[in-house]
Amino acid sequence: MDFSWNYYAILGVLPTASEDDLRQAYRIAAKRFHPDVNKAPGANLLFQDINTAYEVLSDQRRRSEYDQVRRDRVDSLSHLHIDVRYSRQSLRSLREPQLLYVLAKIQPRLETMTLKTDAPLNLCLVIDRSKSMSGVRMQHLKNAAYRIIDECKPTDIISMVAFSDDAEVIVPAQRLSDPRNAKTMISAIRADGATAILAGLRQGLIQIERFRSSEYVNHLILITDGRTYGDEAECIKMATKARDNGIGISGMGIGEDWNDRFLDSLASQTGGSSVYINSPDTVAHFLHERIRSLATAYAERSRLVATPASDVQLNSITRLTPDAMTLPTDPQPILLGVIDGLAATSLLLQFHVLTDGAERGNFFVGRLDLSGEVLGTNQHLERATQDLSVEIGDHESEENPPPELLDALSKLMLYRLQDRARDAIENGDIGQATRSLEFLATRLFEAGQDDLGQAALSEAERVTNTRVLSKEGVKRLKYGTRALLPISGEQDG
Amino acid sequence: MVKCPYCQSEMMEGALFCEECGLSLWGDSQGEVSTRKLEEGSNEFSVKSGWGTATFQQMNQVIIHIRDAPDPLTVRPSDEFLIGRQDSASGIAPDLDLTPYGALERGVSRVHAALRRGDDVLSLVDLDSANGTYLNGQRLAAHQPRLLRDGDEIRLGKLVLHIYFKQ
Repeated sequence: MDFSWNYYAILGVLPTASEDDLRQAYRIAAKRFHPDVNKAPGANLLFQDINTAYEVLSDQRRRSEYDQVRRDRVDSLSHLHIDVRYSRQSLRSLREPQLLYVLAKIQPRLETMTLKTDAPLNLCLVIDRSKSMSGVRMQHLKNAAYRIIDECKPTDIISMVAFSDDAEVIVPAQRLSDPRNAKTMISAIRADGATAILAGLRQGLIQIERFRSSEYVNHLILITDGRTYGDEAECIKMATKARDNGIGISGMGIGEDWNDRFLDSLASQTGGSSVYINSPDTVAHFLHERIRSLATAYAERSRLVATPASDVQLNSITRLTPDAMTLPTDPQPILLGVIDGLAATSLLLQFHVLTDGAERGNFFVGRLDLSGEVLGTNQHLERATQDLSVEIGDHESEENPPPELLDALSKLMLYRLQDRARDAIENGDIGQATRSLEFLATRLFEAGQDDLGQAALSEAERVTNTRVLSKEGVKRLKYGTRALLPISGEQDG
Repeated sequence: MVKCPYCQSEMMEGALFCEECGLSLWGDSQGEVSTRKLEEGSNEFSVKSGWGTATFQQMNQVIIHIRDAPDPLTVRPSDEFLIGRQDSASGIAPDLDLTPYGALERGVSRVHAALRRGDDVLSLVDLDSANGTYLNGQRLAAHQPRLLRDGDEIRLGKLVLHIYFKQ
């Protein structure tokens, strides 16, 4: 029996449900997610949960035990909560599939909790000291590192690794008793050699392992300005293993030459993503922000199972905040990494819904199932279940889509256009790439983003003439449109 | 199925944005400009389909909406109607001077583009402008006229115009 689950929510009944109610609810739920009927990734996970829930609740003795424990825990523990908004509350019954957008905001219920903003960090900074880092980049990076040392709490564990062809430990994992010594070690780093990320990653993870525990936010920040050759696959494998051990990874790229898709994919193994530092003097700012967000973490290793009903398709899922990026819908569960205690984690889901033949009334779209380990509670798992449903009626919804959703979507479209252009180039479709970039430029000008619009325009011309994008343009457009994404008012959730 | 009025891509029912060109298929942005103004001047065919009529008769006028400008302009184009930016030094005086609408900052050339009348049609031609002329998001090749339709969007550099035909 797992008390972190709300078995009633899983079956979709009230805690006062009778045995008959339970049986009926079980039949409906099991039918929705039976792997024979529902082929969506994640359906079998939910099907197992539904069976477990029914096994417990249909057994009088186990049900009362479960109720007892839940009652005692509800007040003492906070809860993760998923708040959802739909693009339309009611759909017509149509022969053709329809598009439904869902904005899901994940936030701990603050009224029932006091956030442990002081979760101590077990942080390793892994920095690229290859030749291209020499000069102003390295100087700014060192300054940023000094600042981290000055700002860390006495309970934090800090380590630092520098790598080029090989990796060396600059500051071994420790509670910094002598910050001056650490700074001296950092000041002696010299830039030379090539970029071998695997070596740096390996050494950084060794440092984190030394103090790794669920008491800490265990996190590695990789900062690089170059490409690693030939060891990408191994890096990804290492990141997956780190995740299984509860270690998060963030990537930061300086300048134009690093491989953003690789760094995104590396960080996304642990639910994180990459940021683009276009000018070295902002590196301290980005690092500071990242570390601050780690300190307000509420839960980590969070994962989501998003399963549509059998006549519904989950078309795409995008995380808007934090670290905007498109998430894979398969395999499930989907990794979300750290859930912040203060700022909402928001997701935009796109469903293709087939309502043909559906009866009027409530229409079940799918289910979101979230779990995460609450920090500082010895890996206590918290879960939230949210069913998605709309009405089927004779008329289209009269009400407007939520402004928040429209706003997020309009910005997401910009991000998607640049992504699309990039994919088109990789597939050799220069015409499509040019079109997408020109459309992107038009939308950016409309949105008053003249500089980005101009960048899109010059990339469109470049693509027509040379069939490639500039390295700088790729990153400007990607991270520029990504930066537009965070939706306003996320603090008040 | 809904059709994007901007790029003609087909989107699923319920789509709020066009996946191809990013246009909002919801509310103000297109509803205001394309539906409301069309009713007086064009046949009903153009209202729904997104394809405005291409017929432009002798006595027709053009209504030009300049983005961020409060009032639309109504003009009766000559055979060659020059659009650009007034420049006293070189003596260039376009039929439509966009200087009051931030033409300089938005990259409009002095001699940027022209509207050309043909037999019951109106076309748009780019006059080798520095920052290009775009018709519904597609860049025009210089000196190659393209047929205009009621409700089309034109972009000169960064300046966006919408045009409507009026009888």
